[in-house]
Amino acid sequence: MSGLDQLLLASAGTLLVAFLLGAWRPASWLFTALYAAQLALLLRMPEAASATPAFVVFGQTIGWTLDAYGRFFAVITVGAALAASWFASGEWGARYEAAENSLRALHSAMAANVLAMLMLLASRDLVTLFIGWELVSWASFLMMALGGQRAMRAALRYVPYAMGGAMAVLGAMVFAHAWTGTLDLGLLAQRLAHLEPARLWVLAALLIGGFGVKMGLLPFHLWQAGAYAEAPGPGTAFLGAISSRMGLFAIALVLVRLITLEGLPALTIVPGLFGLREALAWIAALTIVLPTFTALKQNDARYLLAWHGIGQGGYMLLGIVVGDAWGSAGGLMHVFNHATYQAALFLSVYAVVHRTGTADLNQLGGLIVRMPLSFLTMLVGIIGLAGLPPMNGFVSKWLVYRSLMTNGMPLLFLASVIGTLGTILSVYKLLHNTFLGQLRSEHVSIREAPWSMTLPMLALCVIVFATGTAPGLVLGWVAQAQAALGLPVINYTLGGVESSRGGLDMLWVVGVLFGGFGIGALLFYGAGRSKRLHQLDNYAGGHFLSADVRYQYSDNFYAGLMHRIGPLYRGAFAWAESALSSAVSLAATAMQGVYRQQVPALFLLATAVLALFWVVTR
Amino acid sequence: MITLTVALPLLAAFLLPLAGPLRYALGPAVPLAMAWLALQAWAPAQAEPFVIAIGGFRPPLGIAFYVDTIAVLLNLAVAACVLLLWPWGTGADAARKQSLTLLLAGASAGLALSGDLFNVYVFYELVAVASYGLAAGRGTGAGYAAAFRYLVVSSLGSLLALIGITLIYFRAGTLNLAHLAELAPAALHDPLGLSAFLLLLVGLGVKAEMFPVNAWVPEVYAAAESRVSALLAGLVSKLAVLVLVRLLVLVFPLDEARLALLVLGTLGIVTGELAAWRARDLTRMLAFSSIGQLGIVLVAFAIPGEAGLAAGLAVAVHHLIAKPALFLLAERWGGSIEALAGAGLRSKLGGALFVLFALSLVGVPPLPGFWAKFLTLSGLAAQSGAAWWLAAAAILLTTVVEASYLFRVVGRLYAPDDEGRAAAQGRLQLAGAGVLGACLIAAAAGAVPLGEALKHMAAQAGDRPAYIERVLRPHPEVAQ
Repeated sequence: MSGLDQLLLASAGTLLVAFLLGAWRPASWLFTALYAAQLALLLRMPEAASATPAFVVFGQTIGWTLDAYGRFFAVITVGAALAASWFASGEWGARYEAAENSLRALHSAMAANVLAMLMLLASRDLVTLFIGWELVSWASFLMMALGGQRAMRAALRYVPYAMGGAMAVLGAMVFAHAWTGTLDLGLLAQRLAHLEPARLWVLAALLIGGFGVKMGLLPFHLWQAGAYAEAPGPGTAFLGAISSRMGLFAIALVLVRLITLEGLPALTIVPGLFGLREALAWIAALTIVLPTFTALKQNDARYLLAWHGIGQGGYMLLGIVVGDAWGSAGGLMHVFNHATYQAALFLSVYAVVHRTGTADLNQLGGLIVRMPLSFLTMLVGIIGLAGLPPMNGFVSKWLVYRSLMTNGMPLLFLASVIGTLGTILSVYKLLHNTFLGQLRSEHVSIREAPWSMTLPMLALCVIVFATGTAPGLVLGWVAQAQAALGLPVINYTLGGVESSRGGLDMLWVVGVLFGGFGIGALLFYGAGRSKRLHQLDNYAGGHFLSADVRYQYSDNFYAGLMHRIGPLYRGAFAWAESALSSAVSLAATAMQGVYRQQVPALFLLATAVLALFWVVTR
Repeated sequence: MITLTVALPLLAAFLLPLAGPLRYALGPAVPLAMAWLALQAWAPAQAEPFVIAIGGFRPPLGIAFYVDTIAVLLNLAVAACVLLLWPWGTGADAARKQSLTLLLAGASAGLALSGDLFNVYVFYELVAVASYGLAAGRGTGAGYAAAFRYLVVSSLGSLLALIGITLIYFRAGTLNLAHLAELAPAALHDPLGLSAFLLLLVGLGVKAEMFPVNAWVPEVYAAAESRVSALLAGLVSKLAVLVLVRLLVLVFPLDEARLALLVLGTLGIVTGELAAWRARDLTRMLAFSSIGQLGIVLVAFAIPGEAGLAAGLAVAVHHLIAKPALFLLAERWGGSIEALAGAGLRSKLGGALFVLFALSLVGVPPLPGFWAKFLTLSGLAAQSGAAWWLAAAAILLTTVVEASYLFRVVGRLYAPDDEGRAAAQGRLQLAGAGVLGACLIAAAAGAVPLGEALKHMAAQAGDRPAYIERVLRPHPEVAQ
């Protein structure tokens, strides 16, 4: 039994256990243990492991091999499920069940997602990939639909997007088969090199567009924020951490393994100037900027984070599209980094929701003294999300920026910096409106979330910090993944990367940073002029303030900024979506008219006459 | 022996009203016997198709039944469908329905087996008569109106088909399919022959739910009992398609004939699926979706060669399993889709089955619906020509529409039911749909051997020279 057999079996077993025992609350801890076991299996798996079962169905071979590239994503997937199920295992699950929700459905959906993703990540031909892809799509639909009426609406909005993407992929698949005679990824790569450019363009556009739907690539991003944000808490964290990265996985596979970096420049729009690569880079840049600034406007913490999830996907794609060792390493590493801090952020938001009952950023504030661990988690998370040292988000973004500059793409660099600016603004809003400022009188007596929830959050914080300080821990996996995929491989050290033209050593950066903090702390405490005050012992403009005076204005947070950039939000994508939906509706009405004929017999005769007329005139 | 699958139900249909209390046992026993007989014939037909000359008269003079795997499969399907959709009941009304159902079963079995156009026409008319009676069976005004509309269109269609048959006879002087196959290149591959095929296509297309002669479909399916809708959509449509396919393969293997099938099929897909998107009640939605699915069947059979036959068979058999099940589920879920809130929570199995069949219809792997769509699309992609690729694009795009409307229903099924109006599923309907669901899952699990069987079946059906050989120049030991 190969390592992959064991892993898939363990994953399927988890699904079975979830279905059988999911409703039994004491078994909740079991799932965390089962995901931990899967993670252990995954970590001790050799470079590339194949599953024993392989089928030939209708002439197509279906089989699974997990290489280092797939394993990199698999580790993140199982890790995210581990953290999310841990979070759900204690008081959160009890509360969830008490509200007449089905824990069994939640655990089953999570296990089904993990299994489907593992099958997707281990596929070695397009049919298997498509099977995995569809399973992932519908497993995530299941997860999205669990959160009640609003969630169901969001999930139903996802269905046409997901199906549209899937059908684009299916179309590409059947045409690739017709034109090359194979669907095996290795053979396909060889034969695609000899395909005429017009056909290769069709395949590339269908595949990248289809897979792009899942990662929320512009213009197919509208479904994602609502669908992820409305899922049940741990589900949101899991989906937000990894689900949409399946799209990135597949796009990188298409770009690097099928079209290959050598073949990519052949796909041109304006020869010598602009081609698929440039187009994708700009789509990625737009995917960074627009959703990030949409996030800035959100007043629901879950939606704010979910919109950032879309935007951060742009950095990952941008790094991979640049295609050099540093850029692609940054893109891939950002998948890991984003999963860790995004899960931490969602979990801290749901810890707040667990205690206060709301994620509305206008209904919170001042919780820092009540929920210090949740605050710490969110602080670490937003530093990671904003891409600032010493957290891991900085390293991956630095690599992407750096390779954009060295490859002579300053405009794209500028776009991604604008995106980062928007990120910093909006995560500050998130932190401030939740934890800083005035504590609301109705929240005076709440407590920190229970340990079953704070422990996974803190564990994620530790990872975010540790892999920020010693990025070599992750870059090892990244380098293996690059090699397996066929990208140039990064030369890394424990602290980062070394280069004659200026490397990065996070150990030094973090050392200097904490040295600075130390000096600040010495000055602060050493001067002996600080005094500890109650949170409400405060004054403004010479007036003492008490809890019943509202002095925190969270509503319309960036009023000045919005005054400037507000008119730029046009809602063009939402408009296009509803226009398309109206067009389909109109066409559907017309088609119903076709079937509402008063005299079908006449229609029949007319058809016969027309048919005969066609024969005569042919 | 297999001829009994035709004779037995026809006989029973007329004896049933006279059988007194015995008929409660006799009725359901007939389809059971049919299934048993068909199973008996399965292995020999799979090994080597055989010809049965009724009364011992040799084709092309006598009446011949041609027994290949497809015919046996359809016979089996007839028996299974009739059994699953049996009109249980004790009243005089039920007795009438039972007789009609048996008539339909016998005629359908005959239609599947017939080896000449004359018999095809006779059995087709028998099927038609039985289906008129069944379609009007609910006895409501709307039911009668819809059934009458159906009757008018269908008889006109039969008339056109008859003209087509007459033309063929006029040119070739025979109606035996094998004989026709032999004579066709000389006698029928000209504009007149093509006109005959098109007349047959339009005429038989009425029952095959082919665009644009399918305007009766939504009204009849909405007004008739869902049992009957299931029979018409699942079974009868496939029989009409089978006749068309036999003609296409044996007598008219012409590019023009394929093009006609392709164009009309594509139009059916587009109109049916889009109309379903606007449907406000479940039965109408299923009726329109059925039109779309039959469009895919026609498009798949239009693909030349064994690839097309395999694809068409896969889509047809999948639809034969999925649509009756969905109609069974719709029996208690009639009326506005909005009113279905909570129905899936009330009836857990019913909701789960609906989701299962919806996923398979949409073509989610590893369910069989995916392989059916995959075969069709690969076949279309392998052709060269804008019409084929447009058809592929139409299938892909309408699948998105299909998923969107089917899952809108799923969304309603699992919405909270504030007023407690949701109807529970009937036990009989649930059992029927459950059996079909089990078939679907079994097919998904056994996709590997099924794929082999399908390939074999398509090879058998597509082998024109062998068909001619077997019917006209039988080896003595093969003729039975």
